[in-house]
Order: sequence, then structure tokens, then C-alpha cells
Amino acid sequence: MTATSKYLSGAKEAHDSHHQEEDPKQYLMYDPKPRGEMNAMVMESMHTTSWKFWVVLGVLAFLVVTCFFFAWGYMIDEGLYVGGVMRPSYWGIFLVNTVFWIGISHAGTFISAILRVFKAEFRRPFTRAAELMTTFGLIQAGASIFMHMGRVWLSYWMLPIPNARQLWPNFHSPLMWDLLAITTYVLGSTMYLFLPLIPDLAMARDRSTGWRKTFYKILALGFRGTEGEWRHLTVAMNFFAFAIIPVMFSVHTIVSWDFAMAMRPGWSSSVFGPYFVLGALHSGMGAVAMVLFVMRATMKHMDYFIRKEHFDALGKLMLMVTFAYTYFFFNDYIVQWYGGDKATDTLLHWLEEGPMAWMFIQFVFFNIVIPPLLLWSKKVRETPWLLALIGLMINVGMYWERYLIIPVMLTINRMPFTWKLFQPRIEIFLTIGTFSMFLLFYMIVSRLIPLIPVWEVQEGQMTHSLRKVGKAKLPTISEFE
Amino acid sequence: MSEATLLAVFEDLDPAASAIEKLHEMGVGDENINVISGVPVAHKILGRPHPWTNVSKLSMGGAIAGFAFGIFLNFGTPHLYGVHVGGQYITPIPPGAIVTFEMTMLFALLATFLGVFLDSYFPNYRPLEYVGEVSDGKIAVFFRISEADAKKFTDAMNTLGAESVKPAEARQL
Repeated sequence: MTATSKYLSGAKEAHDSHHQEEDPKQYLMYDPKPRGEMNAMVMESMHTTSWKFWVVLGVLAFLVVTCFFFAWGYMIDEGLYVGGVMRPSYWGIFLVNTVFWIGISHAGTFISAILRVFKAEFRRPFTRAAELMTTFGLIQAGASIFMHMGRVWLSYWMLPIPNARQLWPNFHSPLMWDLLAITTYVLGSTMYLFLPLIPDLAMARDRSTGWRKTFYKILALGFRGTEGEWRHLTVAMNFFAFAIIPVMFSVHTIVSWDFAMAMRPGWSSSVFGPYFVLGALHSGMGAVAMVLFVMRATMKHMDYFIRKEHFDALGKLMLMVTFAYTYFFFNDYIVQWYGGDKATDTLLHWLEEGPMAWMFIQFVFFNIVIPPLLLWSKKVRETPWLLALIGLMINVGMYWERYLIIPVMLTINRMPFTWKLFQPRIEIFLTIGTFSMFLLFYMIVSRLIPLIPVWEVQEGQMTHSLRKVGKAKLPTISEFE
Repeated sequence: MSEATLLAVFEDLDPAASAIEKLHEMGVGDENINVISGVPVAHKILGRPHPWTNVSKLSMGGAIAGFAFGIFLNFGTPHLYGVHVGGQYITPIPPGAIVTFEMTMLFALLATFLGVFLDSYFPNYRPLEYVGEVSDGKIAVFFRISEADAKKFTDAMNTLGAESVKPAEARQL
């Protein structure tokens, strides 16, 4: 065989394999199992724990006790001076953590609500895992704000109740908007997490004994699955899916206004709202990729529910969000760069060449340069550990971005005699504490509630079928509701 | 004449829909039939009437209440103890829009959540008619008939492919 004919036959094989019909069973919706079997798989994944799980849980619990509760107690006892916040950086890592955790929390709503509204079917197996991130992320964001307050026992002063002289809080401050928006989002997302969980809690109730039976029985509220119960539940879930989206957008926009409303170099920007929202989605998506990778790698039977197709779809979303985020970053940067304001010029040069330049460069590479270079490839998107690694990189970059925006931009202000680089002290422990608590909550809950919404998966599988058109079998989706 | 509630369990939606049609033919009204399932099933698939719900009305009510509360916080509370600074308005509209929006959404979401509880009578820990197979994907059809006709209906359900037909018993879930 000549080299040319060898080449041609090889090319034909490659062409044929490229056009070979895909096996539909590689997709969860076209690979159904009986509901009873799926229930058993999810229950087993909750009940099966190895010694490694308990070791990690123990380490995290220790970190939470020491780095979160003890360190916070010490700071309350001693005063805020044990932290690094002082002139000019009055807002230190606590606010960085707040913005970071609120960002993480956006993934749950985006995955669950927006994809539900648009009927994106790949969302089905991992909506709950993403929603849990919202609730636990917001708990850490709230805790970080309380840490920053110092005299946390006076936090009720922000509530809409008057003091003894009938003087009410001033609702015209962005910090008050934060309180209202974050409260709305915490309550809304927790309710939105709970509603679709009720049928799965009822399923767990029917398959449990002992204390678990009592636990699920209380939480399932007596749900049986009557026509009326499903109707009330689906109407409510649809309403939540639509209503929580503007709330999600409002929360991070308001957080951005905490900065953008001030006439400071680097902060006063009219695109800060959407820029922050995109940043939140950017880090949230990355965090979902990490969580899905860990779930799939450590929990039994998760490889059935969470497949390559889900990582691929998530990777495409991450790619799209990266492009949008890059657009807003560039928009924010170039307008300030062209502005000609002396203090802003100094700040931008300081970011590029100053002592924190390594952070700025890492942020640009991790969030803007590397993700699009890798995520265009289907192979990369379908490799769970690689997508999780990109997610980790994005989150490190986003943390740096918030660090640059808060303590660093507070440092370079219009009064050079106050310039002093922020040095975190007890904040480092408290940051470790919030991360540990987030992971601890997630690990505990993974053994208590079904992380896979089995009824949603079954509903999806019932509505998907293959229809023969000519010689091909084409995917067809019908609607049950 | 005493009444009995029978419970027929079906493997799939098609036989369950046929069974409901048969029950209609045999004179059982929709008010005497109830279906429980492990996934939400549209009423038209089973040939059932559209189930009522007050959830959307309660959502709207919550939104209106939240809007009113937001207006009160913005435009009411500053006047209870007026602090006038530099001759500026104490009730500017743009910040008011933000607070009113958040309160509207919060109350609407809370009302929707409570609406599910109210309409579904949650929490309900009393003994209820139920079969565990429902969460395994089976469809259970409950129907109330005269006790004397129980045999006739049992046979009809079995003919249509019911996996089991038995008297429904309330039990602790």
C-alpha cells in the first residue's frame, strides 16, 4: 500500500468515526433506570462513608472551632485592632470574603433558576448541589459581615425598627440596601432549596428507619404526592425560578454599589453592577465544577447521575461567562485608563508594577487568559478533574480580584500621606474558618439529604425519547407539566 | 350504605389513565378519585380536572404587601422623626425604588412558600392513605365507592393492569 492510499484510508476511518452515530445511552436522560433503583443508589450514596470521610470531617470541625469560633471570640474580646484593618484600609479581608461568598452563592440560582426557566435539561441532576452552595455561601457572607462589624451584638440596629426616639434606620445608605437584599436572597434561596427537596425527603422517609426516619418524616411535612400537592409545589417552584433571578442580580449589583457609590479611584464606575454580577457567576460556575468533581469522585453511584455531558455543558457555560466577564473587565479598565484622573492613573500603574502586581497578573491570567484557551476544547470540558482545576484557578483569581478592589484600592487614594499596604492578621484564620465551615456544612449535608433530585431526574427521563426519522433516531422531548 | 376507599397501584401512566377513564364510565365522579405519584403529572395526561391552587394569588398578595411595606420604610419612616439636612429631601425616589423592590420580592417569596404550606395542609403528621411504592415510580389511584361494589371495581382495575387493588388504610407515614 502506498503512502498516499494509507493516508486516504486513515482519513476515511477518521471521517467515519467522526460521523458515527452517538450512543444515546451516554446521556443520563436516555439511559433510564427504574425509579426504585435510582432511589436506592441515592440512599446508598448518603449512607456509605469511609474512614477518610470522618478524618476530613474531623479536621474541618477542628478548623471551624479554632479558626472560626475561637478566633472570632478572641477578636470580639480584644477588639478589631487584632485584625489588620486601619487607615486607609478600613475594609479588609472580611469584605473580600463577603463579596467572594456572595459570588459563590450566585451559581446555585443561576444553575437552578435560569436553567429551569429556559428548560435546559442537563441541569436536572445537579441543581441541588448548586443550590446548597448558594445557602452555605450566603451563611459565610453573612458571618463575614458580622465579623467586620466588630460589635456584632449591636447588629440589630440595622433592622427596620425604631429606637426609643422613633428614629428609624436610614434606608438611603447602600449598606442598608445590602442588609435588605442579602436577607431577601438568603431567605429566598433557602426556600427555593427546600421546596424541590420535599418529594425527595418523602422518598428518604419511605426508605429509612430509626432517627433518620424521624428526621425525614419531620422535614417531609407529610408529603404524599397527591395531584394537589404537586400542583401547589410546581406553581411555587416556577414562581421562585422567575422571581429569584432579579433578586440574584440585585444582590451583587447592590454589593457593587457599596464601592461604586463612593468617589474613589478604581471604584467609581457605572459598569460595576454588571461587572460584579458576571464576576459572581464566573466564580460560582467554577465552584460548581469543583463540587461536581468531588461529588463524582467521592460519592457512590454519582458517576451514573453526573456524567461527561454535564461537565461539558458546564464548561460551555463557563466559557460564555468568561467572555462576558472579560468584556466588562476591559470596559471598566479602559474607561478608567483613558479618564486621565491622576489618582486613578497612579492606582493602575501601581496594580501593574507595584508590590501587589503578582496578584493582578495572576488574576488576569487565571480569569481572562487561561479559561478561554482551554475551555474551547471539548476534551478539556469533558475531563472532570481538568474542569475542576480550571474552576479552582478561576476562584483563586476572583479572590485576588476582590482583594485588589477592596484593601488595595483603599490604599491608593487621593491622600498619599495615608498610603499604607493592608496587612491581614487574624483575618487569615477567620478566612480559613469560613472556608472550613462551608466545606463542613457541605460534607454533613451530603450524608443527610439526597444531593440528587431523583424525582426531577425521573421526570426528565420520562419526557425524553428517541424518535425514528428516516434512518436516524432523533432525541425528542415532551412536556409533562 | 357504607362506603369504602380502594387503592389501585399501577406500574405506568397509561394503565392508570385507562383505569381513571373506566372509573368515570362506572359512575365514579372526579371528586371521589385521587391520584398520587412520584413525579408531577399533568391533569390532562390522566384525564383529570385541573387542580386548583391559591399559590399564585397568595404570591401576588405578598408582593402587594411587600410593596406597601417598602413604601412605608422609604417614605413613611423618615417623617416619623424628620431629620432635615442641608434642605435636601428626606424621601428621595431612586434609593426608595431599591428598598421597595427588595421588600416586594421578599414578601412575594415568603407568601409563595407559605402558600404551599396552606394549600397542601403542611405539616401534616396524622395517619394518611399512602403506599410507599409511589416514591418508587408507581401510580396509585384512590377512589371512594359503595362497599357493596368493591368486588366489581377490584375486578375492573385488575383487568386494566393494576398491580394490586386493596382497601386504602390510613397509616403513619
